[in-house]
Order: sequence, then structure tokens, then C-alpha cells
Amino acid sequence: MRNEKDLLQLMNAHFEPLKLEIKRKQNVSVEFKKEELIQALSFLKSHSYRHLSTISCVDWPEEGEFELVYHLFSYDDLINISLKTRIKRDPGIFQTAKEIWPVAEFYERDIHDFFGVKFKGNDNLEELILENWQEIPPMRKDFDTRKFVNDKYEWRDYNGQKHTD
Amino acid sequence: MDKNTQTEIFFGPNHPGVPGNYGINYEFEGDTVTSARANAGHLHRGFEKLMEERIWIKNTALVPRICVEEPDINEMVYAMGFEAIGEIEVPRRADYIRSIILELARIQGHIFSIGGNAAGIGQYTVMHWGTLTRDYLLDIFEEITGARVYHIYIRPGGVRQDIEDETLDKILDLMDELENERFPDLQKALFENPNAQKRWQGKAVITKEEAIEMGATGPVLRANGVPHDLRKMMPYAAYDDVEFEVPTGENGDAWDRIKIARDDMLQSIKIIRQLINKIPDGPVQADLGNGLKYKIPKGDAYVKIESKRGEYGYYMVSDGSLKPYRVHVRGASTPLGLYGVREFLPGTRIADVPVWAKSLGICPPEFDR
Repeated sequence: MRNEKDLLQLMNAHFEPLKLEIKRKQNVSVEFKKEELIQALSFLKSHSYRHLSTISCVDWPEEGEFELVYHLFSYDDLINISLKTRIKRDPGIFQTAKEIWPVAEFYERDIHDFFGVKFKGNDNLEELILENWQEIPPMRKDFDTRKFVNDKYEWRDYNGQKHTD
Repeated sequence: MDKNTQTEIFFGPNHPGVPGNYGINYEFEGDTVTSARANAGHLHRGFEKLMEERIWIKNTALVPRICVEEPDINEMVYAMGFEAIGEIEVPRRADYIRSIILELARIQGHIFSIGGNAAGIGQYTVMHWGTLTRDYLLDIFEEITGARVYHIYIRPGGVRQDIEDETLDKILDLMDELENERFPDLQKALFENPNAQKRWQGKAVITKEEAIEMGATGPVLRANGVPHDLRKMMPYAAYDDVEFEVPTGENGDAWDRIKIARDDMLQSIKIIRQLINKIPDGPVQADLGNGLKYKIPKGDAYVKIESKRGEYGYYMVSDGSLKPYRVHVRGASTPLGLYGVREFLPGTRIADVPVWAKSLGICPPEFDR
């Protein structure tokens, strides 16, 4: 059973992480270069980190980047580790983790729906939640909710009269 | 496969055999499923986007709506995420009250879903009893929080208001009533019912390896004899102060999962009694200043707790402003409802589909969030 420090040492010994952090008790976060991340995932999986909680995506338009965060948990160490990496917003392509966890296919499809990130190797990126979506992916920070609503729907008051604004 | 014997059926979203507002596209050969595809999106309300547009405190009224069965769980994870990023210490009494609320919520959720499971195999009496018993718990919630289903009670820094001693006594009385009157009835009507045994035993099996591989937690994993529970593994609120066991099963089937739900409720009663006996005095809310101006430093946190169906997690990012920068919800049944449907339903007979879907506790709003 490793503690948080052992885990960070293990990461340091095998990879070149950009940033290591003990967030709080039983919670660790590690930032990787994008080339190393998939390797790190399969390495951790073979070191008892077998539970993939989910994959999160965060949009950082000022930096022109998407941040992908993979949350893993080990039933032996009882530590939650968040593996982060940043990819360019344009074209927004990353590798799939489907070969390591088949369930990742659905998390990736979700991210593809809402952020427009493509995952190489995941050939089934059809729409999961959205249907016939024409606009830019809605969870991106530059998606203007108000403008979308005004363009798409018409406003009506209680008497059923149409009005604009 | 012969095209002439194949039938395509779209199952749901309005169908008593479907656990909520989502559909499943099936192909049947005779009455055996040959392929299944989850059709999600009927209930998408854009919670995550909405949260980015609202100040921190306003979101406490939004998060319970993510899953009807587990409103308090959502409130708790959201508050924990806020406290983790802001490094806020919660008063001990608030921790105790939170645990009491979460365990009451666990009982009401389990009794509701046992009823739903029973309805899936035609045992409607149990469903009505389940709904009735849940109502007694909702009465307690109404007394504590003023609301029945969505309580908006657990909030960053503590809870909204204190619990009166009379209410605590009432909770204890209700626990006695559940244990001595309601549960024995349930036991006779459902767990000693040969019909239920026949419909659930050996059905919808998910092995330990399969469960871990796809990230399924809670009763699905525990039905294979592994006592993994976040209340023990990563204690939060006041769970490090109480003693309880984590119920497990042996065969990984629907029967074991439903028995775990029953045993879980008995453990919750045990936990609630201990908490009420030991509850300390003191404030119930940390001083965070003006609620409309809550601010926490830049940072991020992944927090998770044990809902009645397993791990419920939030990944929260703050950019130091008045609103969250990003909140990502990981519902307990996300892997089961999307991936599990495709992988495990083929080979099931049509009559067992509700057994499968309901015993796994699939809650569509968690992936349609």
C-alpha cells in the first residue's frame, strides 16, 4: 500500500511530469505532457489504479487550450489521482483511452459532443446526447447561450404576443 | 443472422420498464436481445453550463435537481468541492447533521428503488408500500428543511439551519417503526416471496472484474463480495465517528444487489442512532461572509462520496471569481447506463430487461446532465 508521497515518487521515477501536487489527504494531481499521458494511464492501471471514475474536460480559451483530466482510483492504495494534460484548442485532437478502459469510449463521446474534442482511435464519435447540433459545441466558453436562445426561439409574453429581445 | 426473425424495438422513454427518461434501441431475435444501444439525451437540461452562469450559492438550489433519487448527495458533493478548493473547515455539528441527512436520504432512496424493482417484476404492492414508507421520511425532511424532495439544505460551509432536539427524537421513533414494522412486512412480501427469488436470482450478473473494469461501484461491485464503500475508504462528514458494516453479496446478481439495498438501510438506521446519540453542540455554519459574494481561490478538486448506487463525484474548477469556472458531474450509473447497456444486455430475455435496468439503479439524469 502506497501513500501519496510514494505515488508521486513512482510517477517521477517513470515519467517526466510537469507538476506534482498532493491536493489533500488521499487526493493527488499530476500534470503530464500530452505525449506521456496515455502511457501513464496504462502504467497506473497495471499498478492497481484500475478504477476510472470519469474524464473531465475544461476549456481555457485565453490560453487556446483544452485541459483533459482523467480521474483514477486504487482500491489498494485508496488514493484518488487526477491526471491532467493540455491539448491545443485548435484542432483539438487527442488519443483515445478506449484500449485501456473500454468504457472510456462513452466519456470521450460526451466530451466530443460538448467540447468538440476528437479522440484518435475512437472511431465511434457519433452524437451521444445532442441531436443534429449545428452550432459550435455548447460547453465551450465562447458559446453564447443568450444569443443561441434568441436566434433559435421566439420570445412570447403571457398573452402569447411575440416580441423581440 | 436471419433478417426475417429480427425485430427492432425502441423501448422508452415513457415505459414502466424503463428507469426514467431514456430509451434503449433493441434488436430482438425471438424474445432474446441481440443488441442494445442506449438512446440518451431526452432529459438533458444543461446543468453544467447553467452552473457556470450562476454564483456559487445559487447553484446549491440547482444541483439537487440533477438526480431525483439523490438530491442530498448532490448538495453534499457540491459543498465538499467548494470546501476542498477554499480549504474551509466545517463545524463538527454540521458534519453530524450532514451525515444524518445523507443516511435518511439513503433509506428513502433505497426504499423507493426497492419498490421500483418490485414493480419491474409485477409486485405492485411492494411498490406502493415503498412509496408510502418513503413519505414518512419525506415528512421528516419537511420538518428539518421545509421541503420534501429537493431540500437545498446542505450548503458550502455547513447546513442551512440547525435541527431541533424534538426532530431528532422523531427521527429515532421513525427508525424504530421502520425496523420493527415496515421492514418485517417488506421481508415477508418481497424477500421471502418465491416469485421474487425466481425472477432475481442469477439474473443480470455482473462479475467483480467486469464491475471494476467499467468503473461500476456501490451495490453492483459489492454484490461480488467486495466491501468497497467510500464512507469507509475516504471518510467524509462524520463517518469516521460511527461504526457500521458494509453489506456484501456473493453472486453479483440482481437478487444480491436488492438484498444489499435492504441491508444498507439497516446499517443506515444503526448509523443514524449513533450519530443522534453523539451529536455535539455548536454552530452549524462556518462564517463565509455575504452569501452573494462567496469567493474561493483559484484551484480545482475532484470530490466523491458514496451514494446509494456508488461513487458520485464532482470535478470542480474555480478561477477565483464569483462563479464556478467548470463543474463536471460524474453520476453513479453513468458507466452502466451507457456502456453497460451495450455490453451486458445482449442475451437477456425481454421480460428480464426491467430486472436488469432497475436492479443496476440506472438514473438517466446523471448522464443527461
